[in-house]
Amino acid sequence: MRDFSYLRAASVDAARAGAIQPGAMLLAGGTTLLDLAKCGVATPDTVIDVTHLSGLSAIEVDADGARIGALAKMAAVADDPAIIAAFPAISQSLTLAASQQLRNMATIGGNLMQRTRCPYFRDPGTFSACNKRAPGSGCSAIGGVTRNHAVLGVSDACIATYHGDLAVALVAFDAVVEIGERSVAIDDFFLVPGDTPERETLIEAGEMITGIRVPASAGAGNSVYLKVRDRQSYEFAAASAAVSLELEDDGRTVRDIRVALGGVATKPWRARAVEQALIGKAIDAETVKAASLLAVEGAVSNGGNQYKIALAPRVVARAISDLASKTARTSGGQA
Amino acid sequence: MTRTIPLSLAINGKPHTLDVEPRVTLLDALREHLSLTGTKKGCDQGQCGACTCHVDGERVLSCLTLAAQVEGRQVTTIEGIAGEDGTLHAVQKAFIEQDAFQCGYCTPGQIMSAVACIREGHAGSDAEIREYMSGNLCRCGAYNSIVAAVREAAAAVSVNEKVEAA
Amino acid sequence: MTIMEPNREPRKHGSAGDGMVGGRMSRFEGELKIKGAATYALEYPMENVAHAVLVQSTIAAGRVVSVDISKASAMPGVLLVLTPQDDLGLTMCGDWAGNPSSGEPYYPLPQTVQFNGQSIAAVIAESREQASEAARLVTVTYEETPSVTGLHDPNAGEGKVMPNLVVNWGDAEQALAHAEVTIEATYETPREYHVAMEPHGLMTTWEGDALTIWEPSQWSHGMARMYAEWFGIDYENVRIVSPYIGGGFGSKGQPLAYGAVAAAASKKLGRPVKLAVTRPQNFTSYGGRAATRQTIALGATKDGILQAIRHRGMSETSVYADYAEQTGAATPVLYKVENFSSEHRIVAVNTVTPGALRGPGKNPSAYGIECAMEELAYVLDMDPLALRLKNYADHDYQSGKPWSTRRLREALTEGAAAFGWDKRSHQPRSMRDGNQLVGYGIGCGTFPVIRAPSEAIIRILADGRVEVVSGSIDMGQGTYTILAQTAAEAMGVSIDQVVVQLGDSRLPGSSIAGGSMLAGSITGAVHKAALAARDELVGLALNAPNSPFAGSGANTLSVSGGEISTGSGDGPVVTIAEMMKALGREHLEIRRNTLSDDAQEAAEQRKAWTTMARVMGPTMGDYSMHSWCAHFAEVRVDEEFGTVRVSRMVSAFDCGRLYNPKLVESQWRGGIIMGIGQALLEEGIVDPRNGRTVNNNVGDYLVPTNADIPDLTVISVGVPDLNASALGGKGVGEVGIVGVAPAIANAVYHATGKRVRDLPITLEKLI
Repeated sequence: MRDFSYLRAASVDAARAGAIQPGAMLLAGGTTLLDLAKCGVATPDTVIDVTHLSGLSAIEVDADGARIGALAKMAAVADDPAIIAAFPAISQSLTLAASQQLRNMATIGGNLMQRTRCPYFRDPGTFSACNKRAPGSGCSAIGGVTRNHAVLGVSDACIATYHGDLAVALVAFDAVVEIGERSVAIDDFFLVPGDTPERETLIEAGEMITGIRVPASAGAGNSVYLKVRDRQSYEFAAASAAVSLELEDDGRTVRDIRVALGGVATKPWRARAVEQALIGKAIDAETVKAASLLAVEGAVSNGGNQYKIALAPRVVARAISDLASKTARTSGGQA
Repeated sequence: MTRTIPLSLAINGKPHTLDVEPRVTLLDALREHLSLTGTKKGCDQGQCGACTCHVDGERVLSCLTLAAQVEGRQVTTIEGIAGEDGTLHAVQKAFIEQDAFQCGYCTPGQIMSAVACIREGHAGSDAEIREYMSGNLCRCGAYNSIVAAVREAAAAVSVNEKVEAA
Repeated sequence: MTIMEPNREPRKHGSAGDGMVGGRMSRFEGELKIKGAATYALEYPMENVAHAVLVQSTIAAGRVVSVDISKASAMPGVLLVLTPQDDLGLTMCGDWAGNPSSGEPYYPLPQTVQFNGQSIAAVIAESREQASEAARLVTVTYEETPSVTGLHDPNAGEGKVMPNLVVNWGDAEQALAHAEVTIEATYETPREYHVAMEPHGLMTTWEGDALTIWEPSQWSHGMARMYAEWFGIDYENVRIVSPYIGGGFGSKGQPLAYGAVAAAASKKLGRPVKLAVTRPQNFTSYGGRAATRQTIALGATKDGILQAIRHRGMSETSVYADYAEQTGAATPVLYKVENFSSEHRIVAVNTVTPGALRGPGKNPSAYGIECAMEELAYVLDMDPLALRLKNYADHDYQSGKPWSTRRLREALTEGAAAFGWDKRSHQPRSMRDGNQLVGYGIGCGTFPVIRAPSEAIIRILADGRVEVVSGSIDMGQGTYTILAQTAAEAMGVSIDQVVVQLGDSRLPGSSIAGGSMLAGSITGAVHKAALAARDELVGLALNAPNSPFAGSGANTLSVSGGEISTGSGDGPVVTIAEMMKALGREHLEIRRNTLSDDAQEAAEQRKAWTTMARVMGPTMGDYSMHSWCAHFAEVRVDEEFGTVRVSRMVSAFDCGRLYNPKLVESQWRGGIIMGIGQALLEEGIVDPRNGRTVNNNVGDYLVPTNADIPDLTVISVGVPDLNASALGGKGVGEVGIVGVAPAIANAVYHATGKRVRDLPITLEKLI
């Protein structure tokens, strides 16, 4: 790690004022920043510790939805009974991420700011070419080992996967990221790499995420986050899906559905084509399977990640089917 | 010399002062500056759990925590969980009884994680224990015995709590 | 209070906590470990220590043209930067086998780059943080040359045959040509790593010509000898301290380049140096298990009698040393076969020289033959258990010798019964549970009994305690515990009276903690020394004028529970402490070794403790001696996702007598868990463009977590084997992993009908 100065922010404004200085970075849970500093990827001159700020860790859930303070810990949100009831996919996405120790450290705001696990990005001493680290230097991943790289949203400049889980659920729920006074739809907050992979979010220098709003939606309480990986725990997703589903009173026709993918794209990936193909349709295995294939429309493989194109639609289909059968059982029980 | 900053840390209920560079992690502060070597360094990058200790009662990874960040908070390490009189914690006893370790290197982290796991209410079933202890790798492969030890200690802790409540 | 339920647990191996050999004693050093009070190598308090950080190569092959250290040297706190330009004045050391040094100079920071991740420079600074930052500022200019990055490299070639790994009897080709049924298949295993939780590293300090090293070591004496030879100093001047080791699994048995660098830096600076190898650097600072490929052909009659085995295998090695991961190691000993042919080759690639990792040779070998046997069973439409029993080897067909003990049949039958193998439906894909396909598989394993001499001191102290002193080590296998048990039993004292001191090259010689040879070796020496100490004590008690037994007329005395008596019920009962007082002795010390008579000269003894010269293989006697096991695995496969989870395992072992079943069961389970990782998760992934191990961390090189592991049932079917060791045990640590990966691969086939022949079985191979 490079030597740096440590400052403790006394207020959000002070944090923002500090963060606008060149070489300054905000430090929350530290699970990304300190990790990347040890890899030699992050080289701050100054870190501004925001973890001691008060009033930014509330979790509030009401009829309009949820508001989660940026400094709420992943573990606190995961175990929050109101979140579990209103947005099960959010709780599940957190519980299935990292380990309890990391979830006790990492904040919700920091979670959104986590960087890719691309091994080429993380090894600057060996792979000098990385357009994320050094714009214009090239992409070492392309032509290399790509088993965990993205198949959706990629460009010639970058194929690094967005590996987070929470944001996938948030994208499905049309969450809004509060950045001080301005608010940004989460799907817009995350950027695909295009020609500028160094730019991953809409955050500008001197800005800080202060909270997340998740609007209520009819299907939110009937949602799931399904994560598929080789190791049972403590691993990033090979592919994951966040799905919420609302059926008509007949118990089989889709009134509303939200589908987002993780582990396969350069950003948390909303699969609107799947949603559109299912709204108004009666749920059955074939319909779901056919619609789920639309999740990977436009997918591009770079060798070792080819399997993700086959896997992702299956994860989506399973998540939808599981929710549908659960809903059918529930409504059947009520009838 | 590089810049150092004076820190006053509360560790296992006792104040400690030290003068370190801001970049020094809690793990290195414990091991290299305070001679508290019970907290182990297995990966130094948040992937193994060997450095688990408690900050304000919650389990965290000390390798990804700056020492400076925990000033003003209560830090507990493996050296601080037995009683003042040396009475072992129920989890420590259960680890010996169940042979929940071999080389012993991941063990302090496992125990700190287990104590928290029980306190969090995440020791309700073997499956839950397995999942909530998965942030602590053990290459000797003591997992079966770790689950048994956490299960046993959770029962003992729960009995103690009932006794105390009564 | 606790109420003990008598006879609830089988007492075959002795009762819990009675302290005697075979008892289920809890770990002797356990309390230190659960308090965080056991001191590992980098944790010794050390004044004025400097910190070294390695700089490793980033190309697979070539030459270091120049190293720019100007920026690094200018950084705060930096004391020294070592590069290939620095002559460290070292000489090559002699090898393991005892062959002397070539006398050539040794360059731990070489000019020639032979693999990606090779140490080529080191920065030493006042703090690790400073050294680490400065190390990033060292700029190396290379001249790259073509490289071969693995067995799959188009330029890898076929390598060379290892003449000592060619085995033939009968006529395998002829028998295969005439066999009614044949199968042939190729199996591959990737690079795998030890991933001991304690990363490698050391602290060194010099006092004049005397070098002290705190380093995790599986072999304190051997490593001390190699350090001495590197630095051209007397063996007596090197001391390795290693009482606790955070896991080794084969990786901590010899000093490595970074050790030479740390000791040389310490010498140059005239102050102690600590060098912690980072987790990523651990992946290339020493070799893991070599990648292997083997092709096996089996011929059999229609009713399943094996006619021939032909095996052709290869493993990768480095471009600078020959190391064979012997894919034919288990192939000849598992089954009865009259026609056999095996050949192993090594292929040089740009990697660090591979090394021994749990079950070396036997492990990939068993993967091949045990998968092939099940493939044959399905072709024959025969139960894989029945096929194995039908071809049970009545003796060792390779050596022609009888087995000393071989309870593999019992392992198979008792394991099958405990597992419920009879509930298996034979057809692949015929067992299902919801979304999941269920499959059963078997894998047999074996590991040779390797015998080696050791030495021990037993010291009876004035207060009646008994001290066991040995330079052997405990990396979690339980050396402290079983030596306490051995001494307690032989001396006739309670376990509480025993003190054990281990892990220091200045203490009595011992075999390496590797190849499952230490327990059998060191218990033999401790047992011998303890019996001699007891005899000495009894002799003094009978004959010394001040002894309470003087003039008692007794011919012999009994020592039990720490008390000396005539054994007949009359006469005095005297504690050992009282006797020592009566004798006026501060201590009574007995040193014994298990070397043969021709090796008692000082030089021969030295050679025995510091090389493999006196190590004996499994057939160097009248018998063929091995540990055996049979693993039964149940897997659940989500067919759409390709994910495999092991839901149940039963493993039955013949490891002879168990000195402490509680600790043995832990070791077996540890081996099985490593085998589950090998089967499903573990693979060193190399970028073919530059030979870089890109998953060089434990977030990307996946080992099993707690959630990956079901309850593992382990069963002992062994009987004492007094040919194998003084107390009747056979090896325990290595064999646990052998056969696990094929059991799981076979279960995956049974579940899915898909045969995956290259490990690990990751999800993309099944969807």
